[in-house]
Amino acid sequence: MDDRIITALGAVIGVPLLLGGYLWVTEQLLARLPRRVQPTVRPYVWVFPAVAFAFVFMVLPAINTVILSFLDRRGTTFVGLDNYVFFFTNPDTIASLKNNILWLVFFTGFSVIGGLLCAILFDRIRYETLAKTAVFLPLPISAVASSIIWKFMYQYDPPGAVQTGTLNAAIGTLGFDPVAWLIDSTTNNFALIFVGIWTATGFAMTIISASLKSIAAELLEAARVDGASELRVLWTIVVPLLLPTLTVVGTTLTIQALRVFDIPYVLTSGAYGTDVIASQMFTRLQNGQYDRASTVAVVLLVVIIPLMLINIRRFRQQEEIR
Amino acid sequence: MTAATTTLSRPHSATFTGQASRRVRRLPLHLAIWVIMAIWLIPTIGLFVNSFRPIADMSSSGWWTALFPPSRLTIESYQTIMETEGVANSILNSLLIAIPATVIQVVIATIAGYAFAWMNFRGRDVFFLTIVGLMVVPIQATLVPVLKMFNAIGIAGTFLAVWLAHTGYGLPFQTYMLRNYIGGLPKAIFESAEIDGASHPMRFWQIAVPMSVPVIAANVIFVFLGVWNDLLVALTYMGSSPNRPMTVIVTQLVTSFGGGWQFLTAAAVVQMALPLAVFLFLQRYFVRGISAGAVKG
Amino acid sequence: MIDSTAKGRWHVIALCLAALLIVSACSQTPAGGTPSASGGATTGGTITLWTAWGGNELKTFRDVLKPFTDKTKIDVRITTVRDVAQLAINVEAGTTLPDIAGPPTPDKIKDWAAKSVMKPLESFLDMTAYTRDTYSALTTCASSDCIGIGVAGGKHYQLFVKTQVKGLFWYNAKVFKGDPPKTWDDLLKVPVSGNQKRFCVGLESGDASGWPATDMIENIVMRQSGADVYQKWIDGKQKWTSPEIKQAFQSFGQTVSADNVFGGPTTVLSTNFGRAGKPLFANPPGCLFLEQATFITNFFLEDYKDLKSVSDFNFFPHPSFNSANAGNIEGFADSFVMYNDTPQARELMKYLATADAQKIFVAAGGTLAANKTVTNFPDPIFKNANDMVAAAKNVLVDASDAMPADMNKAFWRATLEFTKDQSKIDSILQGLDQVQASSYK
Repeated sequence: MDDRIITALGAVIGVPLLLGGYLWVTEQLLARLPRRVQPTVRPYVWVFPAVAFAFVFMVLPAINTVILSFLDRRGTTFVGLDNYVFFFTNPDTIASLKNNILWLVFFTGFSVIGGLLCAILFDRIRYETLAKTAVFLPLPISAVASSIIWKFMYQYDPPGAVQTGTLNAAIGTLGFDPVAWLIDSTTNNFALIFVGIWTATGFAMTIISASLKSIAAELLEAARVDGASELRVLWTIVVPLLLPTLTVVGTTLTIQALRVFDIPYVLTSGAYGTDVIASQMFTRLQNGQYDRASTVAVVLLVVIIPLMLINIRRFRQQEEIR
Repeated sequence: MTAATTTLSRPHSATFTGQASRRVRRLPLHLAIWVIMAIWLIPTIGLFVNSFRPIADMSSSGWWTALFPPSRLTIESYQTIMETEGVANSILNSLLIAIPATVIQVVIATIAGYAFAWMNFRGRDVFFLTIVGLMVVPIQATLVPVLKMFNAIGIAGTFLAVWLAHTGYGLPFQTYMLRNYIGGLPKAIFESAEIDGASHPMRFWQIAVPMSVPVIAANVIFVFLGVWNDLLVALTYMGSSPNRPMTVIVTQLVTSFGGGWQFLTAAAVVQMALPLAVFLFLQRYFVRGISAGAVKG
Repeated sequence: MIDSTAKGRWHVIALCLAALLIVSACSQTPAGGTPSASGGATTGGTITLWTAWGGNELKTFRDVLKPFTDKTKIDVRITTVRDVAQLAINVEAGTTLPDIAGPPTPDKIKDWAAKSVMKPLESFLDMTAYTRDTYSALTTCASSDCIGIGVAGGKHYQLFVKTQVKGLFWYNAKVFKGDPPKTWDDLLKVPVSGNQKRFCVGLESGDASGWPATDMIENIVMRQSGADVYQKWIDGKQKWTSPEIKQAFQSFGQTVSADNVFGGPTTVLSTNFGRAGKPLFANPPGCLFLEQATFITNFFLEDYKDLKSVSDFNFFPHPSFNSANAGNIEGFADSFVMYNDTPQARELMKYLATADAQKIFVAAGGTLAANKTVTNFPDPIFKNANDMVAAAKNVLVDASDAMPADMNKAFWRATLEFTKDQSKIDSILQGLDQVQASSYK
């Protein structure tokens, strides 16, 4: 037992020291270079650790994946675009993509707006921590436990029987018949998306709140004293200042919406028209079809490109402002 | 901190007309907040209440019935969990995995975030966003290549493997967050420090880091959370190692048919206690005023 | 000022939570770890073992292992792994495999056998005794490859330890007192009273929802169309749109139609398979029959602790469709495969094949053994099931489990969509054909 704790302690103390030392040593070495050259070399030194990790864990596997998507199942013969043709002509895939679009719009949209709303509203009350904790609570709940919770929220029992599902019990007291939230095609996608929103809002709120706090109070005071209404202050000062953060949160949640897998998988098994693209990849992997699985990953990468372009524009704007 | 905290949380309105009027004005605000809190809390309260109910009750009646007599509340689920072999040990393992993984990630990401934000080099933004964009690739695509590499180095199955793996998977997002925040810090401060002769490392440690405390705190929360609740990375990179985190042990509580799921409610409550504590503890860093006043001059 | 004490309060709460957790973590002595070889040990050493079992299943398994570990002082390190891909990932990456674990997905069996990833039973087990004592359906293979029971290249790789019979019709003995229907037509004519429905069905099961329906359809196919069609179906050579499979779906559809099933199709889709039998014993009973495997008895007892077998619940065999195929029944078995040939692993595998070991599984209830000589069934119901297996002409494997993973998943899904809307049967079966075309390569 002691071994493990020693290793862990070593890592916790050692790594920051190591990195701090790394920066110090490299700075010394850089000092030996001509002044002009320093600013060109230093960035590479600083980003090197992060880039090295990203390279090993993300870039190399991604390249591997792209290559696999052009090969056959055994990974030996080049098959060109065959896998992509299959991907786009497979009715399951098209149906899943449509669902992902629903997720993109509603999950990302409502979570970002919800997070913003919570960050702003809770900022104004004394019991802020209590409120933030309530909205944050879904995050530490493991995926497994979350699926149990929501199975029970959405549970359907036949009309006339005792309703064990919270939602159906609630609408039952109002006199309505129970609804099979997860099975009925009109409600099921939204029921699943709401589970996502339930968790993601706390995530968005935490990040946006951190940025919100960094907006100088004086700035807002000045505007209010000038007679501007709360709404105007929000719209003309707060939101624009938060735009970079909203972009980050929006981008991250968009990526999550494309990757979403757990929620439909466990609650509806992807049936009744709720399947998403990531579960296609998962099933292929389980079947040993690395070629088809890789195709899904590559398509997702391509879909992401417009989003990254938006981010680049944002970065440029950020640099112009400051 | 006290000076900063007293300026926030109650926006003054220049159009006050008195305490009572202000209360009424704020009623919609409070109402909205309590509605939001209620919607968000109900599912979790359901979990919490269920974890104290006897197994047989959980599937036959809704959790709210336990709030009224006769509410047969019991701690048998908790007892069963704590008596399960290896649970206490696994909690320790979860800690030993989560804390170093968090520290490593956040430190590297902060350094890289600063560099991406304030240093110029060719192709910086494209380079950066490629790494961010790669987050969309499902993790399953990376498991085999990375495991092969760990195996080649000989660290497969150790804590180090899991720390490195979590760091690798988490860095893109961390760096993204930190780059965004640090990039938004006022340029003037850095410039005046540079004029005063501060080198990049100095500007980093003495200006950027202290000013980025809120976002670093947010990141610590998320990383810790993600690692604490992770199952796949631990299972893949630790294999049969006896140093299994709690998430792996929890799967042992249910049969392959899902029987015994009732214990999962109690397990979930136990499992969420620590990340929640981390969240509450770090709330103090979500304060306004650290960068306030820095823009002047 | 007020704010800082409020924050201070949260700190205290946070620290208390954290402290509580850490104290509880450190206060209990860590379990596991090698036991000292105290007193006259025989072998000693460790075995790493992966299993999908958890909860009570795992407890029973530990009971099974206890005589073994007591005698040999070998430390068996069990990890519960439910993710079927984990083994494959380790094989691909070349990392150390567990010594013993469950079998891989069907598509990998031939490959792993050829590469010696799995070790053949022939290399350490007394095959004459094994084939003599185990149900022949689990050991006999007409050709050199029988993926369904882990035979590849003429060698056996899966050691079977316990078995289930599927497709039994369970009923409340106090409610249904008539003669068990012998044919499918008779089954559909059994009289019901009041609001009762003939069948209870529950298909929900997380990400595997639909599997009970696949069992039901399989039991129909084997009796309606015979073992040959069944095998072709497993091998991907029988189209889903073929008349045989289509009529099996239609017959299944009769059990989940609004007229015949408790709560209607929506309830079928929303009910977890383990809870599906509850209306059988409710007052008044909601339905007469539940089709399920032998393990369902444990689930009955979870909800109604005082039920007694035979007097309260019993089963009758699956009704037949024609006399030609009436002797086919479906079985399912748990097995282990050896991945690392170590002396300790050999010992354990040999032990698991013995009647002594399997007796303990059977005594815990809810299962039959793979070893024919085990007969210590805790109640007459299991004895009957055992007799059924012994008397059956053919014991067939679970078809969907023997199909490639994505075909299996598509099958599960198809049953759900079909139950929801039976009119879509043609498009559903065509979809399955498409999956079949691409998944068997």
